[in-house]
Amino acid sequence: MTTTDTTLPAPVLGWLETFAGELDDCHEQAAPGGTVPSPAGWTIASVRRLPAGTPVPGTSDTLAAVRDEPAGDRAAQVFGDALVRLHWRLLRDVLDGAVSRLDGRTSEGAPLLGRQLVRGTIADVALALSETRDLLGLPRPTAERRRRIHRDLVAAGRTALGLYGASSFAAEGPGRLLYAAELLGNTYLHAGEPEEGAGRE
Amino acid sequence: MSEPQLPRRTEVLRAHVRDAAAELRDAGMEIDRDPTAIDRWLHLPAAGIMRLSTIPVEYLDAPLRIGEHTYDLRSCLEHTVTIEELSYGDAGFMLACPGPLMSGVAVDALGDDKQRHAYYEQLSRPEATWTFFGLTEPAKGSAATELETALTPDGDGFRLSGAKRYVGNAAFARLGVVFCRRAPGPLGIEAVLVDTRDPGFRAELIPTVGMRGARISALTLDGVRIEREQVLGYDTLRPSRRGLVGAIRTLQRFRPVLAGTALGLTRAVLDHVRRERPALAGAARARLEDLRDRLEATRRQNYDIASAIDAGKVRSDRIAGVKTRAAELAERATLAAADLLGPASLLEDPWLDKLYRDARAFEFMEGTGHIQRLAVFQGVAKHTFLA
Repeated sequence: MTTTDTTLPAPVLGWLETFAGELDDCHEQAAPGGTVPSPAGWTIASVRRLPAGTPVPGTSDTLAAVRDEPAGDRAAQVFGDALVRLHWRLLRDVLDGAVSRLDGRTSEGAPLLGRQLVRGTIADVALALSETRDLLGLPRPTAERRRRIHRDLVAAGRTALGLYGASSFAAEGPGRLLYAAELLGNTYLHAGEPEEGAGRE
Repeated sequence: MSEPQLPRRTEVLRAHVRDAAAELRDAGMEIDRDPTAIDRWLHLPAAGIMRLSTIPVEYLDAPLRIGEHTYDLRSCLEHTVTIEELSYGDAGFMLACPGPLMSGVAVDALGDDKQRHAYYEQLSRPEATWTFFGLTEPAKGSAATELETALTPDGDGFRLSGAKRYVGNAAFARLGVVFCRRAPGPLGIEAVLVDTRDPGFRAELIPTVGMRGARISALTLDGVRIEREQVLGYDTLRPSRRGLVGAIRTLQRFRPVLAGTALGLTRAVLDHVRRERPALAGAARARLEDLRDRLEATRRQNYDIASAIDAGKVRSDRIAGVKTRAAELAERATLAAADLLGPASLLEDPWLDKLYRDARAFEFMEGTGHIQRLAVFQGVAKHTFLA
């Protein structure tokens, strides 16, 4: 017998809803009671906060997006900082989850966590988390610094997902949440249109 | 970008498949939303190519003929080039198609004449038949020597019990190869052909972040009856030449094909950037050119490795290396594309968003980067990898 039901398990929807709630907290910090649009004129928040928005693909109708006028500098800065910190916490959870998972799995009679390659990968992600936490603590945050931190968190996130093997790619795995964080960074923290020159092609 | 040189008959094949791949993107987007949508696109020439690929010509009424050439894609190079071109159109579409894919390579590697005949006779019928290759297990990943799915004697045959996970197309397949354990140790591994209509077989789709056309599935095998003639090579091969050997051979033969899938997707995303941003300048242009150079270099390496396999030279360290490079390049290229196409590009450009999600699949398909790195290390230790 074969089934093709693609409904997500309830706990996974719960994680996505929690993430959407934490994203709303970022909006709340920057614009109490409201939302903060990106410099390119998009707002992404939970469907509760944006009931008229279009569902964001890949988030199982927990996040929505609407077109809006870009936010002022102050709100954008507060929101950007909060968003990068949300991404950082998410990656920290993903790393902790990987360590727990690997501790419970064995290969050739030994815990996977004992393998040097695995330990090195865990350390690489931890080092990235340590460095980005220090960068987040620096005074006078700038948009460019936030972009660099986001880029580093994306790279470390991809490394961390490798620790989960194929389960990171299942919709019920951590890859879905990190994808949502990557999409939010692409929308809110992007440097803007790349340099173009006439007549180069 | 200059095209890597190929033998004349392979160039002819590449041009033909490239035409067939030009119309796959709408279908790919639909399959991304609904993995069963492939059923509505089976009339496309690309689906026909996939359905027949690697089936020996003698089983086909109408094999793929282009000009003076006839193809069955049993050459690793021709198969790799075909898959790369179809993946340029849409990798998810390609993976959703019926046909032998990996199970055919396993049947070829291990099956006796009667088993091969029965398998190809089934696959060559007019109706679409999906197949699967069941190796990965929930607790052990794709470590073939540690698998736990059990093949237990039952009268004059066996019963198959256990679970498999991350198996492409299994929820839609009619036939598949399942790797299992008949006895302890590496010599106790067998590969059995399973008919998914048999009692005790159950499969369900696993929702994924991307590459939904792969229709990744979980299997439960609850005492599925297996006759002796379903155990590949049982009557013709010694235990040391059976199950495990088939798994290794299949993975090695297929890794350049998978690398081709990643490289086709990489080409697609870089061409997408060039179309959408034809006047990129400065650092943005340099970044794109760097990725295109890496793509061309990896394609050449992949074709060399596939040609070597056709010549009987199977170099597992280089196969692992090119698979890893191709998988990582696909991720780098899609990350770069999301930057180069401007703010909110993932939200505003559904095709980019799909490629961005799909590219993550290659890391774990047919062995993770960690596993491949171990093979590369072995090549370094033996002085073969960089020779």
